[in-house]
Amino acid sequence: MNVSSVVWSRPVLLEQVLRRRRDGRAEVMLRIPALAQGRRALWLEQALHALPGIAAVSLDNAAQRARVVFDEARLPLVRLLAACARVDCEAQPLHRDSLDDSQRAALDASLKRLVVAWIFAMQAMMFALVLYIGVVNPLDATTAHLFRWLGLLSAIPVVGYAAWPFYRDALAGLRARRAGIDVPVALAIVLVFAAGVLNAVRGGGEVYFDSISMFVFVLLLGRHLELRAQARHRALGAAAAEALPLVALRRQAGGGLETVAVVELEPGDRVHVPEGGATPCDGVLESECARIDESRWTGEAKPHARRRGDAIVAGSVSVDGPLELRVERGLAASGTAALERLADAARRDRDVAGDADRPAARRFVWRVLALALATAAFWLWRDPARAFDATVAVLVVACPCAFGLAAPAVLTRTLALLSRHGVLVARAAALRTLARAGRALFDKTGTLTEPALDIAGIRTFRGLLRDDALRLAVALARESGHPVARALAGNAGVGNVPWARDVEVVAGKGVRGVVDGHGLRLGRAGFAGAMDGADEALWLADDAGPLARLPVTETLRADARACVDGLRKAGIVPALASGDALERVQAVAAQLGIGDWAARQSPSDKLARVRSAQAGGAVVLAVGDGGNDAAALAAADVSAAPGDAVELARARADLLLPGGLAGLPLARRLSLRAMRILAQNRRWSLAWNLGAVPFAALGFVPPWLAALGMSASSLAVVLNTLRIREPRPRGDAPAGSRGRIA
Amino acid sequence: MNALLILIPITLVLAIVAVGVFFWAVNHAQFEDLDTPKILPLLDDPPSATGQRDGDTPD
Repeated sequence: MNVSSVVWSRPVLLEQVLRRRRDGRAEVMLRIPALAQGRRALWLEQALHALPGIAAVSLDNAAQRARVVFDEARLPLVRLLAACARVDCEAQPLHRDSLDDSQRAALDASLKRLVVAWIFAMQAMMFALVLYIGVVNPLDATTAHLFRWLGLLSAIPVVGYAAWPFYRDALAGLRARRAGIDVPVALAIVLVFAAGVLNAVRGGGEVYFDSISMFVFVLLLGRHLELRAQARHRALGAAAAEALPLVALRRQAGGGLETVAVVELEPGDRVHVPEGGATPCDGVLESECARIDESRWTGEAKPHARRRGDAIVAGSVSVDGPLELRVERGLAASGTAALERLADAARRDRDVAGDADRPAARRFVWRVLALALATAAFWLWRDPARAFDATVAVLVVACPCAFGLAAPAVLTRTLALLSRHGVLVARAAALRTLARAGRALFDKTGTLTEPALDIAGIRTFRGLLRDDALRLAVALARESGHPVARALAGNAGVGNVPWARDVEVVAGKGVRGVVDGHGLRLGRAGFAGAMDGADEALWLADDAGPLARLPVTETLRADARACVDGLRKAGIVPALASGDALERVQAVAAQLGIGDWAARQSPSDKLARVRSAQAGGAVVLAVGDGGNDAAALAAADVSAAPGDAVELARARADLLLPGGLAGLPLARRLSLRAMRILAQNRRWSLAWNLGAVPFAALGFVPPWLAALGMSASSLAVVLNTLRIREPRPRGDAPAGSRGRIA
Repeated sequence: MNALLILIPITLVLAIVAVGVFFWAVNHAQFEDLDTPKILPLLDDPPSATGQRDGDTPD
């Protein structure tokens, strides 16, 4: 962990991360990458509950977040963080703005309305049943009257409380002069209910309290499912919103680094930003050159090259290599500007996320209203006495219950199946795009293959001890986000690793820097200056010559072949683009049977490949794990990243694959199936609505038949949705194909 | 018919009570996590610290 936890006892930082509750307790949101592993999450929950002063813990494994309510007097935040670290779950406190309750509150309110609608719709149906029995076995007038009033009574909580969101959104839509589906829905509810009240008071005619209650319930169910999926996405996508770090590494006079709160930074301070980290405030680049990803603000996928002296805005991410920044403006000044940009970016995201169903549903509902009007006009002309009942019958029969349920049901079912198989969907629209994808672009190292350091095979020169060599190598390696470097930096348990200075990452070659006042290079043999330029191992060297040879083995991930084969079978043409050397890429491509491959690709090359495939009319899926894949991931139509990808890649990916690469072909098959079922659902529900309307208009549909038809069509949609199933395990899954390369 | 006059108010009261209980449960976050509580009692103790991590104190 690069960030010393002691800093979290500073009041200025506590002020930023803790929310003081009215009951005297404090609340904090923690980011814990280890939560991706289910077992760790359980350990953590147990460990936290064993601490004194813990009031509540809620973990969100998929979003890697934990929300903890605790008693600050009995348990300082530093000790809470230490307790997390003890069970190997390093925790990083987030800004208290991330403790946003509005989502939770909206979900709770929606659940309450849903249950009220459900319980009272059942009541209304029970009372309506008596009236329906009366069709065959005539009731006396008093009983019929009583049960009409009971139906009215049961429908009041549904129409008056549960259906409230429809009225609210309809009013908001009317005010904004952008009438959506809510206006006709609200209108239908109010009209049908009013008709029922009128008939109940009059003591004759049909009442539709059961139908209208059920209509509200089913629409609320669809809304609730949608809201839940949305909350899920928002939590997964939150990584992008947490752009501004709270702590920074400040360069001390002596050259070392100290962890400080970002609010304490002053103009003129020098700050060290690790690769893949975000710049804490506006500043000027002090390193020679750097590639900066500003897509959070600008939406531009391509990283920009910046030279010494160039200005860099807060929240920019260094794509390859760490950088040094001279602070120009403190947080207060750069913070507000950054927040405005953030709000812009969020707005853009929301626009993109708008549901594609909406226009279809809106058109449909307006047509139904027009039809009801036409019915009313017709009967007013032919037989005014029947006009009212026939119009209400048309409204009831044409209510798009099943239609409103079609998309949320399919979405919920598919997301649940996928998450059971270790695929997390950060953007629901990605499922639609995945179903249309025709080409896939894979990154190699870290995505299809897993590099590992062969510690036993380390050879040292000039009397250097192996542990010392490893220590120096880790000091340089942790400055880079390259998968090989990350595999090496994973061996940090080798003693006190010093901080490297003046670090420069040369893409595709290695890292250069000063450790303990010693100029060192770590990387490919040629870069490090070893004799054998063709050697595949990593070399550590100084100006006098090589110091150590660190052999790196690269194994194909166990499920890489299953993933590539599965995608090919599902109709996606795979391609491979890697920054690695020709022979290695060729070897992997040959093992996986990929014909279209390219070596020595820079991030811009990968981006260009995605763009050119798109220009050729293909829908492109990009799969990558590193900061240098981020541009390609953002530009592709749909993107996926393995669960252990770097934060920047995770933030860009539509699908996260903590369950392994094999989830990708599954996601493709399920998305294809989901789209097919969705189309069926829509056709079916429209056919029912349109088919029944003429009968209703002619007055042939009594209330009991309308209620029956409405439930039957909704039920059909739900049952049809259950046909989205995980495919049966296939016999040809190559379970043991763990090939060695290198 | 007399039975109905008693039973119907009872159903309405029961429905209102059910809604009340449900609102209480939602307000007290009873539906927030439906997965972990059922597993927690079955777990062994968490493994103790995997060795004191070497303090990465800068410098």
